[in-house]
Amino acid sequence: MNAVMMRLTCPFCGARELNEFQFHKTAPEPGANPFASVYERVNRTDISQEYWQHVQGCRAWLYVSRNPSTGEVYQVNLLGTQP
Amino acid sequence: MILRRGHRVTTQSVSFQFDGREYTAQAGDTVASALLAHGVRLFGRSVKYRRPRGVFAAGPEEPNALLTVGTQPCVIPNVSAPQLAVTPQLITRSQNRWPSLRVDLHAVLQAGGGFFGAGFYYKTFMWPSWRTYETMIRHLAGLGEAPGAADIAPPHVEHLSCDVLVGGAGAAGLAAALAAARAGARVVVCEREPQAGGELDFETATIDEQSATEWVRASLAELARAGARVLYHTAIVGGSDGLVIAHAEPGGIAKNNTVYRIRPQKFVMAMGAVERGIAFANNDRPGVMLLGAAERYLARYGVAVGKVLVLFGNHDRLYASAMRLHAAGMRVRAIVDTRCDVSAAIFGLRATLTGMGVECMSGHAVAEVHGVYGIRRTRIMPLQATGTERFIECDALLVSGGWTPMLQAALHDGGQREFAAKVSEFVASVQPEWRTAVGACAGTFELGAILTESFRAAAQFAHSIGAMGVVGRAPVGRGDTAPQLQAFWRSPCTRAHEKTQFVDLQNDVTVADLRLALSEGFVDIEHIKRYTTLGIGTEQGRTGGLLGAAIVAELKGEALSRVGVSRTRPPYQPMTLGSLAGLNQGDALRVTRRTPLHAWNQAHGAVFEPAEYWLRTRYYRANGTDAFTAGIQEATRVRTHGGILDGSTLGKIEVAGADAAAFLDRLYLTKASTMKVGRSKYMVNLREDGMVLDDGIVLRLAPNRFLATTGSGHAEHMLSHFEHYRALEWSHRQVALTNLTEAWAVIVVAGPKSRATLMNVLGEPWHARLSGLTHMEFSESCWQEQALRVLRASFSGELAFELHCQHGIAVPLWEALVAAGLPPYGLEALDILRVEKGYLVASEMNGEATPQDLGMDGLVNLGNECVGRALLGRPAFVEPQRPRLVGLRARDGKSVIQGGAQITLTAADTHSLGHVSSSVYSPALAQWIALAFVARDRAATGTVLVARDLLRGTDVDVVVTSPVHVDPSSERMKV
Repeated sequence: MNAVMMRLTCPFCGARELNEFQFHKTAPEPGANPFASVYERVNRTDISQEYWQHVQGCRAWLYVSRNPSTGEVYQVNLLGTQP
Repeated sequence: MILRRGHRVTTQSVSFQFDGREYTAQAGDTVASALLAHGVRLFGRSVKYRRPRGVFAAGPEEPNALLTVGTQPCVIPNVSAPQLAVTPQLITRSQNRWPSLRVDLHAVLQAGGGFFGAGFYYKTFMWPSWRTYETMIRHLAGLGEAPGAADIAPPHVEHLSCDVLVGGAGAAGLAAALAAARAGARVVVCEREPQAGGELDFETATIDEQSATEWVRASLAELARAGARVLYHTAIVGGSDGLVIAHAEPGGIAKNNTVYRIRPQKFVMAMGAVERGIAFANNDRPGVMLLGAAERYLARYGVAVGKVLVLFGNHDRLYASAMRLHAAGMRVRAIVDTRCDVSAAIFGLRATLTGMGVECMSGHAVAEVHGVYGIRRTRIMPLQATGTERFIECDALLVSGGWTPMLQAALHDGGQREFAAKVSEFVASVQPEWRTAVGACAGTFELGAILTESFRAAAQFAHSIGAMGVVGRAPVGRGDTAPQLQAFWRSPCTRAHEKTQFVDLQNDVTVADLRLALSEGFVDIEHIKRYTTLGIGTEQGRTGGLLGAAIVAELKGEALSRVGVSRTRPPYQPMTLGSLAGLNQGDALRVTRRTPLHAWNQAHGAVFEPAEYWLRTRYYRANGTDAFTAGIQEATRVRTHGGILDGSTLGKIEVAGADAAAFLDRLYLTKASTMKVGRSKYMVNLREDGMVLDDGIVLRLAPNRFLATTGSGHAEHMLSHFEHYRALEWSHRQVALTNLTEAWAVIVVAGPKSRATLMNVLGEPWHARLSGLTHMEFSESCWQEQALRVLRASFSGELAFELHCQHGIAVPLWEALVAAGLPPYGLEALDILRVEKGYLVASEMNGEATPQDLGMDGLVNLGNECVGRALLGRPAFVEPQRPRLVGLRARDGKSVIQGGAQITLTAADTHSLGHVSSSVYSPALAQWIALAFVARDRAATGTVLVARDLLRGTDVDVVVTSPVHVDPSSERMKV
């Protein structure tokens, strides 16, 4: 089992310690109705898409795709520009 | 005084105190080495039985010699004497004895040895009630005394990142560091001792054709040239998720600490292995010491721990050690080896020793030690049926049962350990790919193998992260031969003697206690640990943990690999709470923000209260002896005359850009785009679930520039909220968000005299503007050549103005207003004024109230498509029992309505219809009034209900009214 170092790579600031960022919430499913967007989530152990903000840095909002079981971070995009 | 020579001591002398006596030491000495050099053998008494104890070890694994440093109230207790550096005027004292170390009256507890076995406090001291005994037990229990005052500064905190972190600067650590540095990696080495070298300090070794000492020196020089960083006095103490935490305690004492938060790409664990003892009767007496400790005291400090020694153990290193100790002038009387057959590797050594007069016994064990304050003699027993017991006189017994790898750092982040039968040790097994154990830490004890293994592992790590420099070949070394250890945990003895076979010296845990725990049904090693207190002290089972587990395995008849050892948790060495807190203490724990008017307020008798991180004035002392009286006085004065309030904490966010207006339309319940420039509007934000999030006045400064105000202390949250939606839905549009909360000071000028006084203070240029300013309109110009904005808006219900200015004129403007006859008022008064008018704060906008709950149906019905609108139409929001905002008055016109009181139908009812959210004494109405949430089907004006304060046990009859208690048509504001 490989736990991975918790850093996030901010698109503006580069790789920074996790405590510079603030977790907001898990992203809703794309196309979900308003109620589901606010209250319902599918909890998968292999991947989680999340909203984070770089509050102690450039304050950019980020869309982070990561593995909640191992901590591995797959991808970080600026929120709004994610594929 | 004869000067001792050793790796760590110089010729300079320094004196210190121990138990009231002065001793002279050499610079570089620890308190343990200095006292041992003076022949001191008694260092303390054990925690439970108060048995006299001496030094056992030469490192943080020391279980006995824990001293108190300093004098009350600034003492530091439980400092390990082998770690404590001697500094001038150092004052130390032994612990756990009264009145003195030699004569301890509480040692009478020893007589009750059987009574105080493991877990005695669960079974005794119960009648008539345990409290009867509590004071006595508290007085007797524990080791050192707690300090009476805080004397220790917060630690330095350093964040480091590096390519390769090496834990330990012994043979393994230095070899690893060299490999990584040569490959071109950035290297950090953490060494918990003041100097590098580890066992190379005393091992008879050559490395790369140099003596061990020369090799260490050359390696450090090479590391320095390569830019590697070696941190001394620095122990790895914990970590998680790829972060490694190290703690530096120079001088072995909790002052000038540094906490390192290290992010390595790779971590080589070379922290070595800790020697452990063997259990035999009275193995806790002063003079019984770890073999490696004696070697360290000799090599590092030039101290002879005894004159006549007996060595006891189960491996080949006994013989090499004996040679060294003997050569230094200590007489080795006998070597007691538990192994029956002699390995070929030490044949020659053994013969030499025998020739020197050392009796080498095989298949024997030390059964017992005689002597209380020091060893007089040992009783040696044969381990086979044949043979007789012997007595050998000595003054020091050096014991070595093997070495336990220091695995703490290998056990987090998913790291595991497994039992390696070949070396009778638990070694690191599965590790995350960025971490590996080398050297004794991995169960490798022979120097040649240690150097090769460590060098290669580090080189491989360095290459894997792109440091591709040529590393050359590993250092070639020869030291003491491999130990060839055969496991031996305790000497056979009678049941009675098991009570004096100590397993954990620090916690007075004996073999008898382990047997007792098993017989009482505690079979899991974790339960045994907690029940017997095995391994819970400052040394965390370093010398006794594995020993205890192995003895439990023997008593149970189970394999040691199945019994296991108890879990270790960080910190791996003791840390002060201050070090754990790091910089998060004192003023730095929670930032305090002060407004530009803070100093003036403080100088004029303001009493402050925290509002989020801000300090705001609650009331001014001149107006009353307490908040209640002063608040009423200040509020009354605002309504009859006028006053000024420091509103600088008001959140202010500038929203600018071509799409600013459309953006605000999306984020507020009503539209901002319909506002004219120069005007403002009261606006409400909803959360995505439809609840009211915040409210504030939004000003339109220009066609593409707005100033959105938020609740005090809420600005950062609202800024994040705006930024979130901007990113989510507006990333391709032009919206700039700037937090101006601290850029603009705000002075509220309120009351009948506000306009006239303001015109007086601001002067002629402002007269026309002020007299023409309509409600919610603002004007921008200057005062004393600095920008000033005046907004006509009110939170008090009086004619009022909000002045926005920069710091430079805040205090002069404030003082001018005071001088012109408007005294200041605080939050207590503000709360009275706004409750009288039914205005809302966080008590009402509490995250559970929809806009309709708060009476904003009109705003909702305008139909603006905004964040939160989609979830406003939920059926639960229109249910008849759903509470909505109302006003309350006491039915009798005088009772106190308590904030937080529950609203019910009758005084006997426990079904809550809602609660009181804000309540004040209203001077305007001469009675208590409140704002409350009450179920919609009971909220008709005139309904009589009960406000029940269940905490204070009072019930008050209340009448439902409009939330606007005073001036319902707002005439006073429109003057």
